[in-house]
Amino acid sequence: MHNSKAHIWFIAPAIILMIVILIFPLFLAGGISFTDYNLGNKSIGWVGLENYDKMFNRKTYVKMIWATATYVIVVVPISVVLGLCAAMLLNSLRFGADIYKTIFFLPVMATLLAMAIAWEFTLHPTLGIVNSFLANGCGGIREFILGLHWLPWVDSQQSWYHVACANNMDFPYWLKQKNTAIWTICFIGIWQAFGFNMVLYLAGLTGIPRELYQAAEMDGAKSTWEQFKLVTWPMLGPTTLFVVTITTIRTFQVFDTIEILTKGGPSKTTYVMMYAIFEKAIQQNLTSIGAAITVVFIAFILILTFFQRYVIERRVHY
Amino acid sequence: MQAKEYIGESWKHGILIVGAILVLLPFYMMVSMSLKSQQEIQSISGGLIGAQEVQTFPVCVKTGYSEETCTTKPYIYNYWFAFEKAPIPRYLMNGVIVTLSIFIIQVLVALPCAYALAKLRFYGREFVFSMVLFCLLIPVHGIALPLYVMLAQAGLVDTYSALILPWTISVFGIFLMRQFFMTVPDELIDAARMDGMGEYSIVWKVMLPTAIPALLAFAIFSVVAHWNDYFWPRMVITGNRDLFTPPLGIREFRGGIDSDEFGPMMASIVTVTVPLIVAFIIAQKRFIEGITLTGMK
Repeated sequence: MHNSKAHIWFIAPAIILMIVILIFPLFLAGGISFTDYNLGNKSIGWVGLENYDKMFNRKTYVKMIWATATYVIVVVPISVVLGLCAAMLLNSLRFGADIYKTIFFLPVMATLLAMAIAWEFTLHPTLGIVNSFLANGCGGIREFILGLHWLPWVDSQQSWYHVACANNMDFPYWLKQKNTAIWTICFIGIWQAFGFNMVLYLAGLTGIPRELYQAAEMDGAKSTWEQFKLVTWPMLGPTTLFVVTITTIRTFQVFDTIEILTKGGPSKTTYVMMYAIFEKAIQQNLTSIGAAITVVFIAFILILTFFQRYVIERRVHY
Repeated sequence: MQAKEYIGESWKHGILIVGAILVLLPFYMMVSMSLKSQQEIQSISGGLIGAQEVQTFPVCVKTGYSEETCTTKPYIYNYWFAFEKAPIPRYLMNGVIVTLSIFIIQVLVALPCAYALAKLRFYGREFVFSMVLFCLLIPVHGIALPLYVMLAQAGLVDTYSALILPWTISVFGIFLMRQFFMTVPDELIDAARMDGMGEYSIVWKVMLPTAIPALLAFAIFSVVAHWNDYFWPRMVITGNRDLFTPPLGIREFRGGIDSDEFGPMMASIVTVTVPLIVAFIIAQKRFIEGITLTGMK
């Protein structure tokens, strides 16, 4: 017979904190987004949907949505597929899998901000090893491979690599150029995320019973690809759902690499939502527009998670 | 093993090695730059560690140190000067204070709640649990702005409280612990009650010890997430160097990328990044478990 009041003391702190820290801010953001409130203002005026109107019509915010969407749409599928490929490769190795696992997981652990700066130097046009590696490879095997000269439809005199070599080593300023910045940021995002997905997939792979592969083989699925289609992929359904959900939520929140490397530029091509919230609300003290972006951001995430949890989930579970 | 399998295996290793090189590239760059002299960095020469010639460093002399102090090998100079320029130990200590406070408060709040949700019967339990499930969907970084407004109104910007408060509730911790406590047999708790233990002692003396593995996983997840977090400290710490966490320190070191010396800068960054990486390499199995088991957020 336990003290029937104990539970109140056990759950009260958690409930209060959930309401104050997680639920109330949702309403606060919603509320502020309909006003012209700026932090430090004495008065608050109701402006209705004006902030949202700005968001969907001003060029800056349209670019913001584009940048965020591009980042998510590129990083999520590639890092998930790379994670799966790495996991399957490691799983089929006879030796050495643990070393690769440690290496691929390092970016997940390391402070992303520090690694962003390390990448900045690695990709630096004059100090970086990437561009010097490319420059030293002009006319050689590197040009052949990375210039894609081995593809039948690529003219070796016109490939990006050959043109850069011919123009006095004019290789991209990866993070400073309008046409490469977002892709470079995506690359760093993938670099950071795929190890995490790999580990989740490795865990998923160990859960597949061996008999299933034998059964598939008896049914005539001899090749690795057929076995993958018949057994591995369907059995990994729940893992994939989980991996995709987490990766999506994480990629939506990209901030560190943007703030330290591009500041949303050049010409807003990397102006993602979290950075926009920070820049508008904290640096420019435009709290209300920041709140509107927050609301849209949260809405995106909630819709996506609901979609993934309740719509797709029905199809994945075997 | 047949020849064909050897070939297959080599192919796989070939692909994985290329991948590993790509993954390690920035780590290599970081360590290498922290060891080399400015000239070697700028001319991209000297391989990983450089020639390590004893030399006098002009920036050091300009700062006001004696010529004698400034004449040394590049790697010694880089790390020494890094510590001279910024209060790195202070940043690291702030990191420890913040991450540990967050973790301890999270456990103090989550553990009793998880126990109540898993093992006690009371009116409204289902409602509280569905509230936890709903809160799981809310990314704290996403609501950073309203939280910031609240903290600013309370006058807490630029304090330790600002760094810690928003993270005191971990709904994920509650969820994880609750799932774990569900597997603890009721007899254990009944026996404890028979022995005359109150509910409070049950939580801390019976449930806590059984939850150590789950708690350890959660600890790793929580500490890694908050040690590396840059966004939130960037929001609430505006200029007070005494409150800088390691990532804010890193940002400060980067400061003048074009004017400054790169060696000491990278040395600072390596120093701040290394503790977690070393811990990971020592206890990688636990880390991987912790981060993936609890990888919800």
